[in-house]
This record gives sequence, structure tokens and C-alpha cells, in this order.
Amino acid sequence: MFRLQGSKVLAVDMTGDAVKAKNGSMVAYDGQMAFKKLSGGGEGLRGMVTRRLTGEQMTVMEVRGQGTCWFADRASEINLVQLQGDKLFVESSNLLATDAGLRTGTTFTGLRGASQGNGLFTTTVEGHGQAAIMSDGPAVVLRVSPQYPLIVDPGAYIAHQGNVRQSFQSGVTFRTFFGEGGGEAFQIRFEGDGLVYVQPSERNTIAGDL
Amino acid sequence: MSFREINSKMVEATVLPGQRLFSQRGAMLAYNGDVSFTPSLQGGQGGLMSMLGRRVAGEATPLMTVEGSGTVFFGHGGHHVHVIHLSGDTLYVEADRLLAFEGTLRQGTMFMGSQGGVMGLVRGQVTGQGLFTTTLQGQGAVAVMAHGGVFEIPITPQRPVHVDPQAYVAHHGEVRNKLSSALGWRDMVGRGSGEAFQLELSGSGTVYVQASEEKL
Repeated sequence: MFRLQGSKVLAVDMTGDAVKAKNGSMVAYDGQMAFKKLSGGGEGLRGMVTRRLTGEQMTVMEVRGQGTCWFADRASEINLVQLQGDKLFVESSNLLATDAGLRTGTTFTGLRGASQGNGLFTTTVEGHGQAAIMSDGPAVVLRVSPQYPLIVDPGAYIAHQGNVRQSFQSGVTFRTFFGEGGGEAFQIRFEGDGLVYVQPSERNTIAGDL
Repeated sequence: MSFREINSKMVEATVLPGQRLFSQRGAMLAYNGDVSFTPSLQGGQGGLMSMLGRRVAGEATPLMTVEGSGTVFFGHGGHHVHVIHLSGDTLYVEADRLLAFEGTLRQGTMFMGSQGGVMGLVRGQVTGQGLFTTTLQGQGAVAVMAHGGVFEIPITPQRPVHVDPQAYVAHHGEVRNKLSSALGWRDMVGRGSGEAFQLELSGSGTVYVQASEEKL
């Protein structure tokens, strides 16, 4: 269904089924397509309240039809993720498209979210199917296993999947307060078993300034 | 051919005596050999009338003539560069997306209103392309710029292609283009999918689409 055309364009072949994609990310299509706006954060009234509260309101559209549809967003690199019943945690700004069969929701991330400059909440994608996530530059997939925890810069983190616990660690010392910090004041530590997607670029975060 | 892609953002052109190239003014990065760059006051080919035509049409991007013998490297603004080879057919492209093209190609200006009537005019406004577009016809190569990579979609009579106006770069062949709007009540109440206007291309040819919705 999902295939990459180059590294920056996602082509989706559809035969009457649907995909969810970021609003306005369609660049071209052939055949017959219909576009309808959806709203992220889950369905119904509960979803609406969640979106209002969390600010994690990715505007999503549903694309349904016959033919091929091409998606791209501001020349970001695109990575395909295959989900088999597990859960993908991704920043809503990094999510480009998902199979319509996948459930999307919102979870609380706490302090880690704030340090990433993305707010306190993150988007989850769950079910069986494919999702396309975006990164600034080609992303690397790093494996986390029980023996090898992984520590990631909050600004370079884009997504993770699997059974992973995350904690927040800080390298703030007295030097930081004198403006002598190394620029790596905060990190996210991943433990457990899973995959973490990291981009070769850093968003502007509080941590980056310290 | 005379354009060779060095990497995705730079092309190398071979200039031979007696062969001219046109390029966007200031797009030269480096050259070797004996090459001269002359600002082309007329902004391209043709006589005084075609110059006036371009001025009026707002398609008068400053061009320069490249002559001599040697190799010239072109690139501009870190945009991706894509080389298109033409063999007798016509390429429709916005003047500000032109990086360089061979002197063997005939340059012209086309009024968009002549394709699709009133919707053609609306199309120009919506896409920010104005009412006119540049045409290049003949045998030769063109280097066009785009934000993000460029990919080609073939157009066949059975399969018209719809393109986001902001992601459209250029097209060639026997193609009719018209603006199709999918405006519905949802857009009126601010619940649009962000895909209200689309460019519908039908006929036979190729359309070039960029992987981004940003203008140059």
C-alpha cells in the first residue's frame, strides 16, 4: 500500500479504501479521490475534549478513493513504520500518514514533552498497518534492549515503538547556571525493548539553550 | 547532453563555441575555461516585441547569456535542480523556476486564460503563478528548480492527474490543465481538508511535482 518514491515522497495505492494524512499534504493524485477533514486525538466528544485540553491537535484528513495519491510535506524525509499490534509514539508534527485502520490517540508525556519543545502530550498510533513519519534529514532507527538503554537528545527524538520505558535525565550542573553548559542539559533515557527513531537535526528546545 | 547533474542541487553545463546558454542571472557558481556572461537585457530570446511581452506578463526574470568554451556550474538558493530533456515538444514552466536552458530552445510566453477561460485566470491567482507562464519549445535541455526533490507523473488520456497547485513545478506534452475546485460546505465552515483547489491535468504528457508545498 504505502511505498516511497525517492526519500521525500510517499505514494499510496488505493482501491476504494482510505488513509489518514496530515491536512494539506497531498501533492498529486490520479484516479478518483475524495478529501475529508478529520480531527486527531480520538473520536467523538471525548476526542474533542482531549484535543482542546492537550493542544495536540493535528488536523488530519481522510483520503478515500481509487488510484494513486502522493503525499509530501515541506521536503521532509519520510520513513515507513510497520505496526503489528504494537504502539507507535510520535510527535503529531512528525506524523504524515497512517492506514485508516490504525487508531490514533493522545498520551501524556510529562516533563519530557516540555523539554522537546512539543508540549506535554504526544500522539499514539496503534493497530495493524503502516504509518509514515517525517524527519528533518534521514532518520536512523536505534534499537533499545534491556542490556543497552539508549539516551537521546530531546530535540532529535521523533518517534519510538515497542515496550519501552522512558525517563528524563538532566545533566544540569552548577556550570549550566553560569552559562557554561555543554548544550546537552537534558536527555531522554529509553529502557526496555523497542525501536527509537532519531533525526539528524535538533529542534529548538529549552535543553539546547542550556 | 549539455547539462549534467553533479548532485541534487547543482548542474554542470558544457559550453562550446557557437552554442549559447541562458541562465538565471547570478546563478553561476563556478566556471572554468573561457566563458563570458552577458546580462540579457531582453530577458531571453526573440526581438523587442517578445521582451515587451514578457515585461507585461510579469514573466521577465533577469536572464544572462553564457557563451564561450568551458564548463559552468549552476545552482541557486540551495534548491533542488532537475534536468528535463525536450525533443520537439513544449515545456510549460514558471520563469522564476528556470535555472538554465539551452539556446536551441525557443522561449515564449503564454496567457493562462487561453486554457480554461475564467477558471484559467482563477488558477493563476490561486497558484500565485500569475496570468502568464513561460513556454520552452524545441530540442534541448532545461534545468528547473524546485523545493525538495522532483518526481514525474505520466499523464495518459485514461488517467488524468490532479496536482496540488503549490507543489506543481512544470509540465510538458499535449496537456490541458484546468483548476478544479473541491469546495464544499465543509470549507465554508472552516472544516476544509486543505485540498480545496487542485490542478487537473489531462491529455498525454508528463507533469513534474515537487515534494513540498513551498514556493521558491
